[in-house]
Amino acid sequence: MSPIDREAHLNRWRQKPLVEKLLLALGMMLLALALKPWPAAALITAVMTGATLIGARVSPRVWLACATAPLGFLTVGVVSLVLRIELNGVSLAPGGIEAAGSLAARSAAGVTCLLFLALTTPTCDLLAGARRVGVPAEIIEVALLMYRFLFILADEVSAMDAAQAARLGHASKGRRLRSLGLVAANLLPRALDRARRMEIGLAARGWRGEMRVLSDRPGTTLRGVSEVAAVLCATAFLGIFA
Amino acid sequence: MHIMEGFLPVGHAVGWFAASTPFVVAGGVSLRRILRKAPETRLNLAAAGAFAFVLSALKLPSVTGSCSHPTGVGLGAVIFGPSVMAVLGTIILLFQALLLAHGGLTTLGANVFSMAIVGPWTSFAIWKALRGLGASIAISVFFAAALGDIATYATTAMQLAFAYPDSETGFVGALVKFGGIFAVTQIPLAIAEGLLTVVALNALSGRAGQANEVAVLSGEAR
Repeated sequence: MSPIDREAHLNRWRQKPLVEKLLLALGMMLLALALKPWPAAALITAVMTGATLIGARVSPRVWLACATAPLGFLTVGVVSLVLRIELNGVSLAPGGIEAAGSLAARSAAGVTCLLFLALTTPTCDLLAGARRVGVPAEIIEVALLMYRFLFILADEVSAMDAAQAARLGHASKGRRLRSLGLVAANLLPRALDRARRMEIGLAARGWRGEMRVLSDRPGTTLRGVSEVAAVLCATAFLGIFA
Repeated sequence: MHIMEGFLPVGHAVGWFAASTPFVVAGGVSLRRILRKAPETRLNLAAAGAFAFVLSALKLPSVTGSCSHPTGVGLGAVIFGPSVMAVLGTIILLFQALLLAHGGLTTLGANVFSMAIVGPWTSFAIWKALRGLGASIAISVFFAAALGDIATYATTAMQLAFAYPDSETGFVGALVKFGGIFAVTQIPLAIAEGLLTVVALNALSGRAGQANEVAVLSGEAR
């Protein structure tokens, strides 16, 4: 259901330590927000796109599809910065184009950082990391179970959707809405039913409300962290002084 | 409509995180208490969360043809109550950022505030108020879902206007601009979601035995 999840599990940097990838993505994200858009944002966009496509060998098609998805939102923001509403109509805002340009540059840089993290690191790895930094185990377990359920439910939804389409359930807008309502209504009991069956299965195995999973990820290396730190420092330096 | 990654300046991103944290922590504390007492609840909650995520990835037919997904805010708030929705909504928004590249991490605080806090609380308040006034279930659910949606988008418009006030007219001018753009795309969507939620809850309550399950779950969650 999610091409992003598939890439995250299959890319070349899948086995890299979590801390290094997280440090790079979040560090660059913060630099993109904190530094002036030019030249920092352009630099960050280039570095993070390179890291994702060349370093981790993520499929460019998936990357492009994800990168262009927020364009609609960006257009709304850019248009409202460029235009000014007055009593006698709409005109160009003074300095609006410049502000819109820097907003677009910064958002592009942020999106490349997010895509790097999403496409190189599976969500379950990130949740395991969150547990280590002290997020309550109960919350993490709900999130991990949710992650497990959502692929199963997504398969069910696509089957229901295909069945409805085959029975003219998508023929008109009204029918589409009704079909969607039926999907939602049939999915929730199924999801709860699945949860109940899983609960019985776990109870039969003596479950006490805790899930221990073996994780064989490599530990953080000093070399890896210092390389990431060097890239971040170089970007910050160029962003401030260039 | 989620605020995209990198859209908010640093101060605003931090500010919205700070504003959302108390609600999410309070929701987390009550969730932990529920889970300590009944560990098996977590399977139900996870299934419900996954349901909301999958629902939000579906496409709604929309009049203006904008990117339109149901938010599930109204349905979740009516069934599970708003405090648990704060935690579930945060996890869902995190998954949407990581699995669908929809929304963002630095803008997570702002998105949580509009979609996991303001929306569910509005829906819940309207649901309770209309039921209290003796309105039918269908009418109450429709207004709870539709107005919860509109409250979510109004909050997003306000967040954007705070971040990018108009050079002359300031906050109010920017609010008019963002609100105007959102009104065109989101009001039809809110009505569609209201109708969808009514259809969904009608079909749900028609299933013997299962409606009970939902009632039990909402009893636990509140």
